Amino acid sequence: MSHASQEGRAPSGALWLAAWVTVFALALPLAGDGAAAPAANAEPPIRIPSDVAWTKDTLAVISSGDAFHGLLLARRCSHCHGEDGFSAVGTFPNLAGLDRLSFWKQMQDFRSGKRTSALMQTIAEGLSQRDAADLAAYYALLPTASDPLEKRAFPQPMQDPSGATGAIRLIVFGDGQRGIPPCQSCHGPVSYIQGAPPLAAQNGSYLAEQLDHFSNGSRTNDINVRMRSIAMQLTAEEKTALSEYYGAGLGPGANSR
Amino acid sequence: MFAAAMALVGIALFGTRFYMVDVPIWHFFGGGQGLDPATLHLRGEFVESNLGAAEDPGGALTVRMIAQQFVFVPQCIVVPADVPVKFRVTSADAVHMLSFLGTGYGLKAVPGEVNEATFTFNKAGEFNIPCHEFCGAGHYAMRGHLHVVPRDQFGSLLPGERRTCEPR
Repeated sequence: MSHASQEGRAPSGALWLAAWVTVFALALPLAGDGAAAPAANAEPPIRIPSDVAWTKDTLAVISSGDAFHGLLLARRCSHCHGEDGFSAVGTFPNLAGLDRLSFWKQMQDFRSGKRTSALMQTIAEGLSQRDAADLAAYYALLPTASDPLEKRAFPQPMQDPSGATGAIRLIVFGDGQRGIPPCQSCHGPVSYIQGAPPLAAQNGSYLAEQLDHFSNGSRTNDINVRMRSIAMQLTAEEKTALSEYYGAGLGPGANSR
Repeated sequence: MFAAAMALVGIALFGTRFYMVDVPIWHFFGGGQGLDPATLHLRGEFVESNLGAAEDPGGALTVRMIAQQFVFVPQCIVVPADVPVKFRVTSADAVHMLSFLGTGYGLKAVPGEVNEATFTFNKAGEFNIPCHEFCGAGHYAMRGHLHVVPRDQFGSLLPGERRTCEPR
């Protein structure tokens, strides 16, 4: 605690200081042994899912993104992710309306190799943190509603509309007994958490692939095992139902943001 | 009369709080650990590879858990019966509370703090750990699991081994 200015805390702070000094004084001779110490508190090798943490500095970098510079940079992205942020290929994610935080984090994770992708890792290596923030600002501004005057492939038709029942149940209520919170409590529109992308306009095949990767351990860049622990509880049918439901643009909040 | 009423209120408060471990009182006097909830996954004892049940060289068990919107990590913890188990719990975002249903124990998870308590579970079985402190839109579906197994079934853990009962 850095609020040293408060008078009421002073005596307790002194007590704690005294306690810590004692602890360190007792611990010093133990630390001198060296060889015995590592065996005593053996810890598993540290696994770090992502180098990104939502600290004030990180949030400041992301929020300083310049959408106009992002617009210029995005010309390189539009071959795969579409002129307006909707990908022509189902396994490539739609970027339109993606929130800044999740876009920026994925770019950093591609750069550091925490998330693997043959295509994106090399592309992300060419982007600075600043570039990624600019792109994030640009794509966050793109509308997710498709233009009704144009005949584009979005929203995709649902393969099997009967799966919608199961999907809606999971999106709205989740399944507490299996530790699956409702999708909409983090991915919108009910509420969002830091780093969780809105899903209402995402590609179905992309979502299906990512759910598989989270559950089989080939994608591990979610902070504090959040998405992995949820995805491993989903059955194959539920994954299909969810990805088709979101992919059809029927997700709650679709075409309304 | 007033003193008696106050004593009753005190007993009631003490009674409801007896098994529920809240933030240590010295937290309010500046003795907090100053843990950063945003960087739990980067350093310290709550990195993901260190979560779950761990055994000290002395044989004592420590379970480390993170509570976050809206899942507990690990979701399923396994401990032996009739053995004191130390829980070390923190939160990555809001205040949560682990309520070990059917055992009478509860433990708050507070961002920036490590909350520690030692519980002894007397009966084997499977217990739910719902979140008992409103933490956001998905609060009602936030649930963990506790498996208490007989002591001889649990065996012992290797140094560096972390045990959970997640279906991996």
